[in-house]
Amino acid sequence: MTRSDELLGRAKGGATVEFRQVSKHYARSANGQPIAAVRDLSLVVQPGEICVLVGPSGCGKTTSLKMVNRLIEPTSGQILIDGVDVMTVDPVALRRRIGYVIQQVGLFPHRTIAENIATVPELVGWPKAKIRARVDELIALVGLDPASYRDRYPSQLSGGERQRIGVARAMAIEPPLMLMDEPFGAVDPIVRERLQNEFLDLQRRLGLTVLFVTHDIDEAIKLGTRVAVFEQGGTIAQYSPPAELLMRPATDYVARFVGSDRALKRLAVMRLADLRLSPVSSAGEGPVFSAETNVRDALAALLLAPRAAGTVVDSSGVPIGVVTMETIASAVQPVAASLE
Amino acid sequence: MTIQGEPLVRFDWIGNNLGLIGERLWEHIFLTVLAVGLGLAISFGLSLAIRWNGRLYLPITSIAGVLYTIPSLALFALLVPFTGLSILTAEIGLVSYTLLILTRNIVGGLEGVPADAREAAIGMGYTARQLLLRVELPLALPVIIAGVRVATVTTIGLVTVTALIGQGGLGQFILQGIQRFFYTPLVVGAVLSIALAIAADALLVGLQRAVAPWTAVKR
Ligand SMILES: Nc1ncnc2c1ncn2[C@@H]1O[C@H](COP(=O)(O)OP(=O)(O)O)[C@@H](O)[C@H]1O
Ligand SMILES: [Mg+2]
Repeated sequence: MTRSDELLGRAKGGATVEFRQVSKHYARSANGQPIAAVRDLSLVVQPGEICVLVGPSGCGKTTSLKMVNRLIEPTSGQILIDGVDVMTVDPVALRRRIGYVIQQVGLFPHRTIAENIATVPELVGWPKAKIRARVDELIALVGLDPASYRDRYPSQLSGGERQRIGVARAMAIEPPLMLMDEPFGAVDPIVRERLQNEFLDLQRRLGLTVLFVTHDIDEAIKLGTRVAVFEQGGTIAQYSPPAELLMRPATDYVARFVGSDRALKRLAVMRLADLRLSPVSSAGEGPVFSAETNVRDALAALLLAPRAAGTVVDSSGVPIGVVTMETIASAVQPVAASLE
Repeated sequence: MTIQGEPLVRFDWIGNNLGLIGERLWEHIFLTVLAVGLGLAISFGLSLAIRWNGRLYLPITSIAGVLYTIPSLALFALLVPFTGLSILTAEIGLVSYTLLILTRNIVGGLEGVPADAREAAIGMGYTARQLLLRVELPLALPVIIAGVRVATVTTIGLVTVTALIGQGGLGQFILQGIQRFFYTPLVVGAVLSIALAIAADALLVGLQRAVAPWTAVKR
């Protein structure tokens, strides 16, 4: 058994990832000082956790991610997966065992969806029949119809569909660790919300460990078991569970990054149908909203309504519930707490 | 220049020389395929060298460019003292003319591979060789074949010139026709070499489509 078989070699469950004082310098400035893209990064990700790296563009998130599968080698420090230093493992073998979704999706334009998803299973020598079955399973898993999608080329898919296939391809051999670099960046907020929900479902079901990069604090809050907020220069300002981040930002920078208008931003991408509505009363309350109305617009209307309550109806006009200020507040509770 | 009473095409001559016509046509195809094949192999080697070190691009394409600009007749004439009136002389000249087009297209085709596809391939555990053979070359193939089309059509034209050094396939009919003021072989040589160029081009267009089904799909 070689070193790489040992690493990530077990059948089920997520891996542990540890960064130990990892730094990466790409270049030196004019006066000879090294410029750090990542500086002295230390963090631990437990099995089955989603660790989100969030921060403004250029703060070293992608660099941190790529050091895990050795696309970039650290200048100093160590990265351990299940206690094994990645620098001691053959990079090709390492990469085949880590699911990787790159920022620009990176589907192979000359291969069909099925062939794209089969990439890693083929590399590690799965039998053809097993690959075929797995491909169909994965297409269905990310919410698409295998029969109509497997023989298409990437150019025949929408941006959102491509991102789903990118995620499916990375999960093909159910790797114990996934690296995802802004995997839902290229889709509109509604589709994004749906992809996020589907992904959370999957991740929980499979118990994968995930390192997830985003520049969107809302996405970080929603997906992260823990969130690492990066600052310019490649240092971590805070590494905490989302609720903690919202309630007790460690520095002014984090407080600003989390943002005082987050509650409203979040409401804008939620539909009334996503809320836990109160039961319909016989009286028939206030203004009438379609279930597809976004919550921020509904809130604005409620502020002007005499009784601060409205009736939500489905597409055929049948009332399905009542929305009140309390309904909305409870949907953004952790955010509300941070605003006190 | 017209000779009184001489028809443009004498079909009895064609009928009597069918065997020879077939032979020369075959020779023409052979010289072309050999030249483009060798040119492709050499250009591929040069392209890999350029990929390995990008600074080689300028010197390699400059030399190939100079070769390309030498008038064909002059190049063959210069080679004769060294390699004689041989197929070697013909092929050295013909291959030289393909290098610029083929090297440019191979390098350009490989450079045109989307960076995200390349990065995804490496990130999923392709070795450098698998990356080249399974991702980069297939994606570069349409551009490479476009280069092969130009090189092939150019070479078919140049082969007629090698008739002057005793090779030249269909070119020998053209030469013979001019020397003897006898139109029939001249017309046969010219028409067949044009037809050959058109046929070869059509064949390669078909190949281009066949190797890149993803470019033909409806969006
Ligand atoms: N290959 C590279 N060579 C030199 N500098 C780089 C390279 N890749 C990234 N950088 C620099 O390192 C910093 C961090 O980049 P990156 O990790 O891509 O940030 P992020 O993903 O957070 O946007 C940036 O300042 C970027 O310009
Ligand atoms: Mg990035």
